[in-house]
This record gives sequence, C-alpha cells and structure tokens, in this order.
Amino acid sequence: MSAVTKFTARYKADNADLALSEWDSFNAEHTQVPDWVSALRKRGFDKVIQQGLPTTKLERFKYFNLPAYLKKNELIYAKADIVLDGFTEYVRVLPEALNDLSEELKSTIILSPVGEDKYGDMMLWDTANAYFNDGVILDVPADKSVDKPLNITITGHGNTATTTRNIIRIGDHSEVTIVEYHISSNVSWHNNVTQILLGKGARLKHYRIQENNKNSAYTGNTHVQIGQNAYYEAFTLTKGSALSRNQVHVELQGAGAECFVNGINMISGKQQGDTTITVEHQAPNCISKQNYRSVMDGQAVCTFQGKVHVHEIAQKTDGYQLSNTLLLSPTATMNTKPELEIYADDVKCSHGATAGNLDKEALFYLQSRGIPEAEARALLIKAFLEEVIEQITDEAVREQVELIAEKWLILRTGDNDGEGWL
Amino acid sequence: MIKIKNLHAEIDGTEILKGLDLEIGAGEVHAVMGPNGAGKSTLSYVLAGRDGYEVTEGSAELDGVNILDMDPDERAAAGLFLAFQYPVEIPGVQMTTFLKTALNAVRKARGEDELDAIGLLKLMKSKCKELGISDEMMKRAVNVGFSGGEKKRNEVLQMAMLEPKFAVLDETDSGLDIDALKVVADGVNALRSEGRSFLVITHYQRLLDYIKPDHVHVLAKGKIVKSGSADLALELEKNGYADIVGEAA
Repeated sequence: MSAVTKFTARYKADNADLALSEWDSFNAEHTQVPDWVSALRKRGFDKVIQQGLPTTKLERFKYFNLPAYLKKNELIYAKADIVLDGFTEYVRVLPEALNDLSEELKSTIILSPVGEDKYGDMMLWDTANAYFNDGVILDVPADKSVDKPLNITITGHGNTATTTRNIIRIGDHSEVTIVEYHISSNVSWHNNVTQILLGKGARLKHYRIQENNKNSAYTGNTHVQIGQNAYYEAFTLTKGSALSRNQVHVELQGAGAECFVNGINMISGKQQGDTTITVEHQAPNCISKQNYRSVMDGQAVCTFQGKVHVHEIAQKTDGYQLSNTLLLSPTATMNTKPELEIYADDVKCSHGATAGNLDKEALFYLQSRGIPEAEARALLIKAFLEEVIEQITDEAVREQVELIAEKWLILRTGDNDGEGWL
Repeated sequence: MIKIKNLHAEIDGTEILKGLDLEIGAGEVHAVMGPNGAGKSTLSYVLAGRDGYEVTEGSAELDGVNILDMDPDERAAAGLFLAFQYPVEIPGVQMTTFLKTALNAVRKARGEDELDAIGLLKLMKSKCKELGISDEMMKRAVNVGFSGGEKKRNEVLQMAMLEPKFAVLDETDSGLDIDALKVVADGVNALRSEGRSFLVITHYQRLLDYIKPDHVHVLAKGKIVKSGSADLALELEKNGYADIVGEAA
C-alpha cells in the first residue's frame, strides 16, 4: 500500500499509514451515513493512528506479519464486491441499512471491538471501523427455520484493499445456515469483521470457504455471542491467500450453549495461514469443541493458537481443542499454541496437538497393493482431512469441501506451486 | 517363474540377506522356514520393495523381469503380492475406496479396463462371500478395528481381488487361533492355481498342515541352508532349527 506521506507527521505508530491509505478521500466520499457511523469511523481512524497495525511484537500476532505484506504491495481502497443468493429474506445491505438500524444492533456495532480488548491487539477491528461502510446485516426474528442457506460471495479485485462488516442476529429458536465464499483475484487485502448474536435455542451453521488468490491477504475477525441452549457450528476452509488470518472469539453466555469451531488448512508454497481462536465459557453446562487439521507443503507456515477460558461460574464445562498437522515437506512450519485457562473446579477440558509426516507404513501398504505413490499420498492426506470434514453437518457444504480438498490434492504434483509474496 | 539369485540386502549398513538363491516354478508352493533373526521378514520386504532395505547384490526375477528395480506399486502390477505379517491400519480410508483404487490401478497398469463402482461391488461381494467376510467389514476403514483373524482374511481378500502371479505370505499364521488359521488357509488354498506361485514364510510348521507346500527351505543367517520336500518341515518341528543352523555355521 502506498505511504500517504501527508499523515506521517501525525502517526505515532509507524505503520498506521499502511492501514489508512486514502482514508480522507474515503471519508469524504462516503457521507450518506448517520452521525454515529461517522463517529465510529473517526474513532477507528484515531485508534489506528495511535496503535498502528498489529506487528509481530504482539503475542497473538507473533507469526502474522501484515505490515510486511502491505509494505510490499501497493493497494488502493475499493468498495467491497458482495454478492448474495439463496435465503436473503432478512438480509439488508450496508451502508443503506445503517439509516434505520435497531438500537440493539447499533449499540452492538458501536461497542465493538468487544471482549478481546484486554489483549490490546484489536487494531484490525479498529481499521474495519475506520472504513465502516460495506457489509450485510442478517436479522432473523424468533422461531424461523430456514432450509436454504444464505450464500455470501466476497470478491477482492486486484490491487485493492476492502473492508466488510457483517452483523448476524438469529432470534430465539431460529435456525439458519450461512456459507461465505471468499474469492480474490490477485494482490489485495480484505479485512472482514463479523459479529454474531444467537438468541435462546438459536442454531447457526456458519461455513467459510476461503479460496482467495495466492498473492492476496485476508484477515477475518469473528465475534460470536451464544445464548442459552443455542448452537453455533463453524467450519473454515483455508486454501488461498499468501497471508490469511482467521481470528474467532466465542462467548458462551447462556447455560447449555454449544459451539463447534472447526476447520482445515491446505496451504503450500510460501503461504501463511493463521488461526487464532478464543472460546470463553461464561455460563454452566456449555460445550465447546475446536478441531483443526492442517496440511502443508513447500515452505508454508501455519499457526494455530487456541484458547479455552473457563470462567468461575461455568461449572460442568466440556471443552475440547485439537490441532493435527501433516507436514508434507521438511521446510513447512507449524506453530501451535494451545491454552487452557480454567477458574471453575468441575469441568472437563482437554487439548492436544500433533504435527508429523505421512505414515510411511500406510504409504508402503497402499503402494504394495498397486497404488502409485502420488495417489497413495493423496488418499492418506484426504483421509487425514476427512476426519474433520465429516463433522460438517450440512451435507451439501460437506460435499463441496470434499471436492475442494480432492482438487487441491490432485493439483499437488510437486512440492511448490504457490507463488507466495515473499 | 520366480528366480532369486545371490540376493544380498542390508538395513542401515547391516547385511541381513547374504546370497540367497531360490527358484519357484509356476503353480508351486514353497515354504521358507527359519529361526528368529534369519532374515525371513527381510526377504518379504525386499521382494515387495519397502523403503530402508538396500539390495547390494543379486536379482529377483518374476517371469524373466528383475522386479528389484521397480517401485512397490509397479511390482504389484507386475504380479507380486505380499500378505503382511502385520497389516497396517489406515484410519479414514474406507475398504471399498481402498479396494477400488488398488484394483483399478493394477488393472490400468496391466492394460485392462478399469472397473466401475458397480462392477467392483459385485466382485467384492462375491470374493467376500467366498472368504466369509461380512459386508459390514467393507464399510469400515482399512484394518481399523479388525480382529487379528479379520486382518489376515482381509489380506487374502485383497490377494483374491488383485490376482497376483506370485504371492508372498509373511508369517500369516502369527496371532491366529486354529479356527482363524483354517479360514485363512482355506482362502489361500482356493487361490492356488497352475499360474500362481506362493512363497509361505513361517516360523512354525503348523501353518503347513493347512497350506501344503511342494518344497520347504530353511533360511538361516541370510541364506537358504537346506531344501527338501514337505517332510523337512516335520523334521524341523521335531528337532528344531539348532542342528541345521549349526551345520550351516
């Protein structure tokens, strides 16, 4: 992104200009918004001026160097390209929808970033506030059950920086499925913030298929608040982007709430994929499961930072976290940091992490049955991923993910097909 | 049909096979017996092409072609089959997927038409029935949760489907009770034919009561030290290996 020299003197953090390219003209052009939105943009802008973008000096960004990417690539602000289909009945598009937003959703947005302030590293969220304009609102009333999923396709165009804010509220006992497709075409940065509120007994299946161009950057920040007996199922497939981050913060706020935060990473070349998850158990009898599997080739770098935080009140918590990794090349790197922070005494919590190579015995066994090595390897990698893919409860999405995984495996001829950006 | 000549092989620089010679005619069943550490399993792995076993001298020809230069999958396509002593569990790979992939890979390499899902299912069902393998087993992942007997029957099933010219059975009797052993042996016997040769590698004579060999060889210290008829196995059972191995040394 080009350095905007006229701001430099005002910047305390030396990389803020990378995040705030053309903010003045953005702000001047997008004026058809209520005052509170203007105020939020200004607040975001000021925060970024003070703090800059997250650097690798921050604990949770230790392995994620967005400023380096932005220094390397010149990007200009662009309006997000969002296409909606499927179940769109309760969907409204930003910024038009901001003019008559309910007080509750308004305050939800204004209060953000929420929950993770204590880490002092929510600059990406502040950046999204500074450029607050595009996105969708899905506000489903109580007792609605929808069979058809809402499909959201976000396309990033070459040499652009885009920001989206999505606010999803599912009313009591309603059931909804959302599938996000992220497709960018070249060098670009998409910064996304999604806020999710689930009422009592609500059920949301939230799938994200990230197949961005391998030269792009993607930062996803998701915050989920789950009410009593509500259910949140997330699955994220990360295949694209030179640099991607999938940060999820879940608050289990009502008793009996459940969340499944799963995903797979399939990256190669010089790609970097970062998954940072925090699950907070704030009520008793809740269940949380995190299950990630990563397959890496070339010089790819994956990071999994998962945390389960059990508050004192959250007795009878069932928390589980697992990260398994297959390293297909000796130069691929996996950084794993599982954490449990438990303040209640009657809980069941476990975490685990593995990283290893393909099982040579299994490979030989398959080959000895006539299966050529490349095919045998693909079969074993697919089997490894399948153990998480099969947990996707939506059949159509599960099949899509399987196809994408198979395609990726077929295309894997050598050990380095990603161009990377470094 | 199978000619192993002066085979030398080592693991990590330690020579295990030290000039092994063996010839097996078409349709014959040969047994190789020997004490622990004689090189029995090494022989089977060297023939199948497992990583880590280095052939330093000699050849192993199947129908006049040296298989030692081939990858393991090419050897399978050429007609070699190894029934593992310890069949490998492969979580996440369904039996049907595995059999279809293997069979079609071999058929393709042999220049035969690949089977579609229905053709495969039919073939699988008929072979399973012959071997007393339940359909339920076919719905599981490869060898996962299989009992010792089921694993060995699964090896025989794969052999029946891949139709090799030369099958090596590596300690197929290990870990089996007498009933399971009979079932496996019946499966193997059903596959005996004029065009198919077997090498039965075993520590105990017991297996040879059920799979009758044409010839028996004693492997000790990396070489065949004695060959004879099926009676040799009985003699070994009675007197142990000590005499023969001692003679050789």
